[in-house]
Amino acid sequence: METGYISAFWFVVIAAVTVPLMLGVGALLRPKGITTKKGTQAYECGEDPVGSAWVKFNIRFYVVAIIFIIFDVEIAAVLPAATLFREAVLGGQGAFVFAELFLFVALLVLGLIYCWVRGDLEWVKGVTKYAPKK
Amino acid sequence: MPANSALFAQTLTQWTQGTWLATVPLWAWALVSALIIIYMLALPFGGIATYIERKIAADMQDRIGPNRVGPFGIFQFAADAIKMISKEDYVPPGGDRFLFNIAPVLVVVGSCAGFVALPLGQYLVAGDINIGILYIMAVTTLIAPGILLGSWASENKWSLLGGLRSAAQIVSYEIPVALSMLPVILISGSLQVGEIVKQQGWNPADPIHANAHFWNVFHNPFTVIAFFILFVGGLAETNRIPFDLPEAESELVSGFNTEFSGMRFGLYALGEFVDVFVMCALVTTLYLGGWQLPFLELDKFWITLPSGLIALIHVGFFMGKTLLLVFVVMWLRWTLPRLRVDQLMGLCWKGLVPISLFNIVGTAVWMWAFKGQSMIQVLGSLFSGGSASH
Amino acid sequence: MSNGMKLILLIAELVTVGSALIVAINPNILYSAVFLLFAFLGVAVMYLFAGADFLAGVQIVVYVGGVTILILFAIMLTQWLYRLKLKDIGSKFVIPGVVLALGLVPFLHRGLTELGKMIQATPPEKMAEFAASPKTQAIGKALLGTHVLPFEAITILLLGALVGAVWLARPRT
Repeated sequence: METGYISAFWFVVIAAVTVPLMLGVGALLRPKGITTKKGTQAYECGEDPVGSAWVKFNIRFYVVAIIFIIFDVEIAAVLPAATLFREAVLGGQGAFVFAELFLFVALLVLGLIYCWVRGDLEWVKGVTKYAPKK
Repeated sequence: MPANSALFAQTLTQWTQGTWLATVPLWAWALVSALIIIYMLALPFGGIATYIERKIAADMQDRIGPNRVGPFGIFQFAADAIKMISKEDYVPPGGDRFLFNIAPVLVVVGSCAGFVALPLGQYLVAGDINIGILYIMAVTTLIAPGILLGSWASENKWSLLGGLRSAAQIVSYEIPVALSMLPVILISGSLQVGEIVKQQGWNPADPIHANAHFWNVFHNPFTVIAFFILFVGGLAETNRIPFDLPEAESELVSGFNTEFSGMRFGLYALGEFVDVFVMCALVTTLYLGGWQLPFLELDKFWITLPSGLIALIHVGFFMGKTLLLVFVVMWLRWTLPRLRVDQLMGLCWKGLVPISLFNIVGTAVWMWAFKGQSMIQVLGSLFSGGSASH
Repeated sequence: MSNGMKLILLIAELVTVGSALIVAINPNILYSAVFLLFAFLGVAVMYLFAGADFLAGVQIVVYVGGVTILILFAIMLTQWLYRLKLKDIGSKFVIPGVVLALGLVPFLHRGLTELGKMIQATPPEKMAEFAASPKTQAIGKALLGTHVLPFEAITILLLGALVGAVWLARPRT
C-alpha cells in the first residue's frame, strides 16, 4: 500500500474529529440553562406542520439514480483502458485502444438516446408518468 | 518508499536530515501535514470565504457589506464563528438524533479529505496517491449521503425536499464531471494528480515530445469545452448558484439545512465552502496547470533561485488560480438566476453529458492525429518546420 | 506491516463486520442503509490493504456514491417502509435464512483454505512488491489484452441493465 494513504487516513480522522470537537467546545462555552421551550416543531414558516415530513416522493428521483449508477460503472470500467491510451498513441498502437474507447462511448450514447427517446429524462412529464395508478 | 507517495512528508524528512527531527517517523509527518492543511488551510478558508463572499456580494450590489468588526470588517468571520459556537445545540424533537449527528461528519470528511491528493506546489502534496483523480471523486461522494441523511433526520418537509433535490443533482452532475476528467486522463495517461500537473509545464527545447504540453485547457479545442463543463458540473455538485435548488431560499426556506442551527449549520456551511475550494483546485490542477507558471520553468531559470522561493512561487500560483475560480463562483451568484428543476436535469442529461462524450471522442481523435501534441506544440512545430524549409 | 497498520486493518475489519451485523439486525431500515455505507467503506479500506487501490476507489465511487444513494432513495420514496420493523416481516424467513447461511459455510471454508495455501506459498517480499505496484494500468492492459472480450461483453451487459432498469421503473400500462 502506498504511503500516501497514511496522509489520507489522518485527514479522514482529523476531519471526523473536528465535528464533535467544535460541538464539544460549543457545549462548554454556551450559556447554560437557556433552552428552546418544549414542544417546538419543525420550522414551516410559522404554520403548524400538517402530518409527518417523511412523505412519499415521486419515483423519478430513483430513475435518475439508476441511470447514474450504470453510467458510473461504465466510467469506472473504462478508466484503466483510458490511462493506456497515451502510451498506445505514442507507441503507434492507437487504433486498437481508440476503437475500444469509441465502442464504449457509442454504447453510452446508445443508452442515453434510449432514455431520451422514451422520455425518462423528462423531469416534468415524470410527475404524471410515474404517478401511482389509482 | 515509492518516490511518488507522501511527498509532503518526504520533503519534510529530507529537509530535516541530520537534525533530531529526522528520527520522527513518517506517520507523524503525515499527521502534521493533515493538521496543517485542515486547520491552517481548509477550515480557515471556509471561514474567511463567508466574509469574502459577503463583501463581494456587497460590492456587486453597491452596498458596503460587513464593516464593523475590525478593519473593513475583516474579523466578521471570527465573530460569526463565536456566535455559532455559543448558540444552543438544537436537534429537532421529531427528528432522528443519530442521523442528525452523523450527517455533518460525512459532509466535513467528504470535503476535507479531498485535500490529500491536491498538489499545492511541486513537492507540497500530502499524499500524491497513484489513483489521485479517482480518490478525489471517491471521497467527495460522501457529501451526497451526508446531505440526504441530514435532511431526512430533520423531519422537516423543506429539508427533505432540499435533500432529495441535492442528492439527485449531485449524482446527476457527477457523470458530466467524471466524463470531463476523462480527456485529461487520455492526454496524461495517469490518474496521479502530481504527474498530470508535471506534464502541463512548458519546454520549448523539446517541442515534439509530449511530456510538457502546456496547460491541458489549451491542449486541443475539445479540452476547452471539457474545462467549462467540469467547472459548471463542479458548481452543481457543490450546490452553488445557479444550481442552488437544494437550498433555494425563495421556495425551500433554507433547503436541506433548515433545521440545522448554531455550529451544526456552521459545519455544513464550512463543508460547502471547503468543497467549493476542492472543486476549484481540482479544475486548476487538471486543466489550468496547477502550480505551473505560464511558459516558464523556474527550475531552468537563467538564475538559480533558492528552492524555498520556487516552492513559495508555485504555491502562490496554485492558490492564485484556485482563488480566481472561487471568485468566479461567487461572482456568478450575483449574475445568474436560479435554474428550474427540470432545466437543471435537462441541462445535465441532454446538454452536458452528450457534449462531454463528444469531447472524449474528439480528444482521442486529436491525440491520435497529432501524436499527443497540444495545439501550441503543433503550431510551434509548424513554425519551426516552415523556417527550416526556407 | 507495522503494528499501527495492523491496528488500522483490525479496526477496518471490525467496522465492516460490525456494520454488516447492524445492517442485518437493526429494526430501523434507514439505519441499516447508513451502516451499509460504513460496511462499504470498511471493505474499501481492506481492498487498500490488499494492494487493490483502483478497486478501492471504484468501490467507494460506485457503492457509497451510487448504490447507497439508490437504497436511500428507495427507502425514502416508499411510504412507511422506514417504519417497517424486522418482526413485522414475520418469522417465516428466519429458518430458511439460517439454513442458507449454514449452507454457505462449507464453500467459505473451502475458499478460505485455498486462499491460505496460496498466501503461504507466496514469499512475503513478493506480496509486498505486489502491494506497492501500480494497479490501474495493469488492469487496463488486462482489459485490452487477455480480457478484451469480457470487457466488451460488460459494456453491452451494462447497456442492457440500463434499458432494463429504466423499463422496470416505468409504470405498467
